[in-house]
Amino acid sequence: MGLFESSEKFEEVLVGFFKLVADTPEVANKLLESKLIIRFSYTDPDLVLVVDCSGDKIDIRPRDTETKAIVEMSMNADIAHKFWFGKVNLTMALTRKQMIAKGPIPKILKLLPAIKPTYEMYPKYLEEHGYSQYNVY
Amino acid sequence: MGGYAGKMLYIDLTSGSIEKKPLDLSFARTYIGGMGFGTQIYLDLIKGNPGFDPLSPANPFVLMTGPLTGIKMDAVARWTMGAKSPLTGFWGEANTGGFFGAYLKFAGYDGIILTGAAKSPVYIFINDDQVEIRNAGKYWGKDTYDTNDQMLEDHKPEAKGPGQVICIGPAGEKGIRFASIINNKGHAAGRTGMGAVWGSKNLKAIYAAGSGQVEIAHPDKLKELKEELKTVYEESIFIDALRSSGTPAHIDVGILGGDIPIKNWQMNQWELIDAIGPGAIEEKIFAGHKTCYGCGVACKKEAQVKEGPFKIEKGPSPEYETIATFGTMCLNSDIESIAKANDLCNRYGMDTITCGATIAFAIECFENGLITEKDTDGLKLTWGNSEAIVAVCEKIGKKEGFGQVLAEGSAAAAKKIGKNASDFLTTVKGLEAPMHDPRGAHGYGLAYGVSPRGACHEASLNFNVEGGAQIIPEIEALAAQYEELSSEKRAELNVACQDYGMFFSSCALFCNLGAVPLNATQAVAMVNHVTGFDYSIDEVVAIGRKVWYMKRGLTNLFGARAQDDRLPKRLMTAIEDGPTAGSVPDMDKMLKEFYELRGFNADGVPKKETLEQLGLNDLAGLLYA
Repeated sequence: MGLFESSEKFEEVLVGFFKLVADTPEVANKLLESKLIIRFSYTDPDLVLVVDCSGDKIDIRPRDTETKAIVEMSMNADIAHKFWFGKVNLTMALTRKQMIAKGPIPKILKLLPAIKPTYEMYPKYLEEHGYSQYNVY
Repeated sequence: MGGYAGKMLYIDLTSGSIEKKPLDLSFARTYIGGMGFGTQIYLDLIKGNPGFDPLSPANPFVLMTGPLTGIKMDAVARWTMGAKSPLTGFWGEANTGGFFGAYLKFAGYDGIILTGAAKSPVYIFINDDQVEIRNAGKYWGKDTYDTNDQMLEDHKPEAKGPGQVICIGPAGEKGIRFASIINNKGHAAGRTGMGAVWGSKNLKAIYAAGSGQVEIAHPDKLKELKEELKTVYEESIFIDALRSSGTPAHIDVGILGGDIPIKNWQMNQWELIDAIGPGAIEEKIFAGHKTCYGCGVACKKEAQVKEGPFKIEKGPSPEYETIATFGTMCLNSDIESIAKANDLCNRYGMDTITCGATIAFAIECFENGLITEKDTDGLKLTWGNSEAIVAVCEKIGKKEGFGQVLAEGSAAAAKKIGKNASDFLTTVKGLEAPMHDPRGAHGYGLAYGVSPRGACHEASLNFNVEGGAQIIPEIEALAAQYEELSSEKRAELNVACQDYGMFFSSCALFCNLGAVPLNATQAVAMVNHVTGFDYSIDEVVAIGRKVWYMKRGLTNLFGARAQDDRLPKRLMTAIEDGPTAGSVPDMDKMLKEFYELRGFNADGVPKKETLEQLGLNDLAGLLYA
């Protein structure tokens, strides 16, 4: 079993974090520039989440399997969690298919500079929102 | 004979003699190509006297292709060159792509062995069987772009087909110790100063044109493999990133893990990094895509700066290493100035890694008061001063004023500057470290330390494997996943990366970038289908091992010992924060384990019995005479 005990808990933690990101102009504005619709498909525990950057503000939609996404990202929930701490070797994770990215790679790469500030936000968010048990990296 | 052109060219520049010798098939089977050939031939030539000055006529120069060079497949347009390095005094070599290797084979030659030195500037003209040493007076003094264009134009009437030129620029002519040899303006054989070796021989260029082609032993099997690889390439995100942004894609990825050295290796994070990343490149300087012979990956890019102080015509765009040395290392966030420095380095013919790293070193000397504007011809060499960085780059290329000091490389400059300047050095064996931080991946530290040519991320496959871009499932150590920020098992990893890496890239077979998706079965199959040989994975690894010991032995023969395998103080000083906070490689542990695995003595020299077991008796005899 992974770090998160249930899909519900993982959704609660991750959606809360993504909403924080969406409300942080420094990051959100750059994500909105990409106009991407990204579907994250997580396993152990399972969760599907769409981050829609195609409108005026970022829309986070858990369990949305209908929207046609431009980018599809699949990974284990623990890898995703570690990623937001900035502790995943992205090249290695992609090569070893621990993370699978499908879609326009140049556009996906452009997101990296945008999300860099979130690495500092994530542990703080966990601590401030009562999720300190997940602040493990 | 599939894959090989079948002849070697031996040219003595002192006497003017030109000999064409057939390539012995059993020699080809035993050493594959590239530096497999080159190190054996070189050792034979220097047996009597390894103590020569690298810039003397006694330093032979070998240029070798591999059996895949010149076939139309992705990532195989490779050729290599080697000699004693004028920068380090040890074995020097550079491995590159582009077009020249293919054209040399079309002319009928697998390699060129140069000895002696001409009395006055010459170039070598190769047009199938016609091989001549010609007067280069009209090209001497010209930069590599003008030399390339002029020489192609001049030879159109007499060549049977289109030709390719490799040449040195003013830097090589003036003996700048990190001078490079350039093909087609942007394909640089950059590291270790091979261009200065040419300059010392009064050799400006080699022109090659040919009407032949590379024979394939089993074309149907190769076609089948090509089909199989189509899917492999389509599914590779690494290749996708290379196609779209080229090597600068690493700026966005490398910064996340603290891989990019910043402020002469004192920082691993920088708020201005995006100003020189792929986004900024696309917005400000991007001018098109380019490729090497037969390669569909097309990772090379073109750049143009239309106006302003850093204006450049459309030409080769800076690679990742160049952006880091002239950018992050110098805290320079002006991408146009980096494009200009790259243009200058290419035109003068200088290695961008050593040049940029040496300028970063000089900036730190300036900022710490070790040198002043009096020493730098009035230039304020401060962090981020893009105009001064470009100006000093040009001074190095011209070898004028303060440029003369830096033209010797940073290690020699530190001696000249004195005081505590050596604290700011980032060299191993006199070669400036590339732009990948061993404090984030400890195995890089060992790779830089024991590399025969000095600090280098391409001297084996360690950077690819430990960095995560490449997995070789058939070889256990190259398939394993390694604990991050740790020195555990890095000695085993390095040995495996050296052995397989010598086969993979040093034998002039595959590009360390574009061939990343290949597993060992596919790589060996390609060589077998082209040559008609029947190599196994074990056999190519064994050949690679032998090639590695040859290179290491040459470097030992030129005087390298255990103390030369150490990292400089700067790379062994932990950074306090960021992704690699507090981490330094455990060099004592890794070196001890590595020496044991490689059968070295405590001096860092392969034991006599180690070499004899590998059949390297000549090398053993010379090292233990």
